[in-house]
Amino acid sequence: MSERHEMPTFSAGVEHHVAQFLFERAQPLLLQFDENWQLVNLHGDPARFGFDPDNADAAAHQLRDLFLGMPLDATIDLPFVHMPNGRSAHVHLLGGSEPGFQVLLLDAQGEHDRQQAQQQVGNEAALISGQKSKAIAQLRQIRSELERQRMRLAEANALKNALIATLSHDFRTPLTSIFGYLHLLDTQAPQSASVRHALRALRRNSNYLFTLAENLLEYARADTRSSMLEPVRVDLEYLVEDLEGMFQPLAADQGLEFTIGVELLDAKTPVLDELRLRQILVNLIANAVRYTKKGGVGVALRWQDGALSIEVRDSGIGIAEELHEQVFVAFNRVRQAAGSGAGLGLSIVKRLVTQMHGSIELQSRLGEGSCFHIVLPSLASVVAAPQGGTEETPALESSRIRSVLVVDDDPDICYLLDTWLSDLGFRVRIVGDAGAAVESALADPPDVLLVDVELPGLSGNTAVFRLRAKGYRGHIVTLSATPTEEARRVALNAGADQYLTKPINIEVLARAMQAATPRP
Amino acid sequence: MTAPARKICMLGDFGVGKTSLVARYMRNTFSDTYLTTVGVKVDSKEVDLGELGMLKLVVWDIAGRSVLDALNMSYLRGASGLLLVADGTREASLRTAIDLLLQSRSVLEDAEAVLIVNKLDLVERWEVGPSTLAGLRQTMPVIETSALSGDGVEQAFLELAKRLAR
Ligand SMILES: Nc1nc2c(ncn2[C@@H]2O[C@H](COP(=O)(O)OP(=O)(O)OP(=O)(O)O)[C@@H](O)[C@H]2O)c(=O)[nH]1
Ligand SMILES: [Mg+2]
Repeated sequence: MSERHEMPTFSAGVEHHVAQFLFERAQPLLLQFDENWQLVNLHGDPARFGFDPDNADAAAHQLRDLFLGMPLDATIDLPFVHMPNGRSAHVHLLGGSEPGFQVLLLDAQGEHDRQQAQQQVGNEAALISGQKSKAIAQLRQIRSELERQRMRLAEANALKNALIATLSHDFRTPLTSIFGYLHLLDTQAPQSASVRHALRALRRNSNYLFTLAENLLEYARADTRSSMLEPVRVDLEYLVEDLEGMFQPLAADQGLEFTIGVELLDAKTPVLDELRLRQILVNLIANAVRYTKKGGVGVALRWQDGALSIEVRDSGIGIAEELHEQVFVAFNRVRQAAGSGAGLGLSIVKRLVTQMHGSIELQSRLGEGSCFHIVLPSLASVVAAPQGGTEETPALESSRIRSVLVVDDDPDICYLLDTWLSDLGFRVRIVGDAGAAVESALADPPDVLLVDVELPGLSGNTAVFRLRAKGYRGHIVTLSATPTEEARRVALNAGADQYLTKPINIEVLARAMQAATPRP
Repeated sequence: MTAPARKICMLGDFGVGKTSLVARYMRNTFSDTYLTTVGVKVDSKEVDLGELGMLKLVVWDIAGRSVLDALNMSYLRGASGLLLVADGTREASLRTAIDLLLQSRSVLEDAEAVLIVNKLDLVERWEVGPSTLAGLRQTMPVIETSALSGDGVEQAFLELAKRLAR
């Protein structure tokens, strides 16, 4: 730093003024040391920088430390050095003049403060922006993690629904068989009281199992499909009888009074989705019976002005008003607190009622029992023409024995259908697969073809399609364990006249056969 | 008899905790508030190195920089040791510390260097991974510290002091 700058020349007056000004600002302190760091001379105010004027040694030590390891014969500038009293000073070593050295201190506090303020703002801004981008990166990562989880959940949910659907679907076939044989035993064998009792228990529990499976299936297909109604003419009296047979013994076991009745005040036959109607009733009654400890359960159906009104009343524990909305939510706490299982029943009832364009209302207070009131409009306008048809019948064919070709690979079902159809007066032939069905039906065309969709190899629908393509003109009833509108549409498109879902009972079969082969 | 003195410089990016480490080491204090350093503050302390004797450490706490300019270079003159300081929660500050070491080599060929990775108390927010530090340990001593809790601080200064005493 020994190079000389070219200085402009000013008048002596100006130079004096500048010197005065700088001198006042810098408050210089000059310390002169000999080669052993002994203070020999001092100009200025040592207290300004926190040096004790009476302890020159201490000051000497501190300054000496500052130049530790440096060549002491050079000129060295150390800007902004923190002084003992906290002030900032520019420290200059002016070496090489005499034996020893001079240290010049110039006050830099003002400059220091300005620079610190600036630097502080800059550094803090940089730190904050660093934190901000880190936080943003974290958020981004969290978001993509959430997205991944959401996809995994959606996938798991779809899988779960598929699994439930498959399971409840798989229940239908064995249940069909159970119901069939139960019916057979009910009607044919002479029975002792204890066997009758056992059969009733079997029937009750199979029904319950069936309802559970139906509920699961209904729950699984909740979000995928909403309207897949199967409107049919419903025999309400038969339905009521059936429900009575199902719940009377159950209620009696619990010491409850159970009444069920139907009033038919409209001449037209009710057209409703029977399976769903049954599901609604079974769920509501089962719930009522389950949560009623004493008193009774009363069910009243009324068919009037093209609508079915249902009332299920119990004298059970009741439901607090503020929980009325909740009871229709699946897996809700109200039901779970009451100690039931999955708590699907009421949520499914609500869904089914909505699907059938109906309404449901709950009147209940805690401790005063509950009353569910449902209104379901007739689905008559939706119903397809060939469903019933007992009205006009060609008298010609009445005397001939009708033939049925049954196509099913389950020997139990085959045996059952054989028994029922024979009972109904049909001549029955049975084959086990689609190929044999086509062959047999073409060789000796039956009046009715009763074909299961789920066959080994080619499906029942394929058989139907090929038969229609080859000119078979008899009545075709397709049987399937898949109760969806889609499956129904596929079957009818293939050429079937009717689509029945398992499990079927003899009444359903009888009605279907009646529709297939009208008699006077 | 006075102990031999050695100058050491705290080098590292701004805000990594150089001033805090010195405050912890010299006065056993810590402050949450950040007040950036302008210029330099010099402190000293004598350490007892056992059979290596006493050593006076003259510690230069220098304003944080990501590059060494002429001004910083002038502060480095005469230093025999460097405490490179990085902030474990800021990976970039570790690169800066290493950069600064390389730059300092032009004026301080033989200075001993110890790397401090500070803010150990915030370890769950650290960006610097353990494997990175394991790699660096092959070339120089690396010490994790917390000026806040005091962990590793004394050890870091001692480690450098020992190397300077030999
Ligand atoms: N949690 C935590 N905070 C720390 C630690 N060390 C320092 N800090 C904080 O970090 C901030 C910066 O600390 P300083 O010591 O001023 O950093 P510096 O390296 O001297 O910064 P410059 O002087 O600007 O270069 C302050 O708010 C300190 O309180 C630590 O070990 N843990
Ligand atoms: Mg600092």
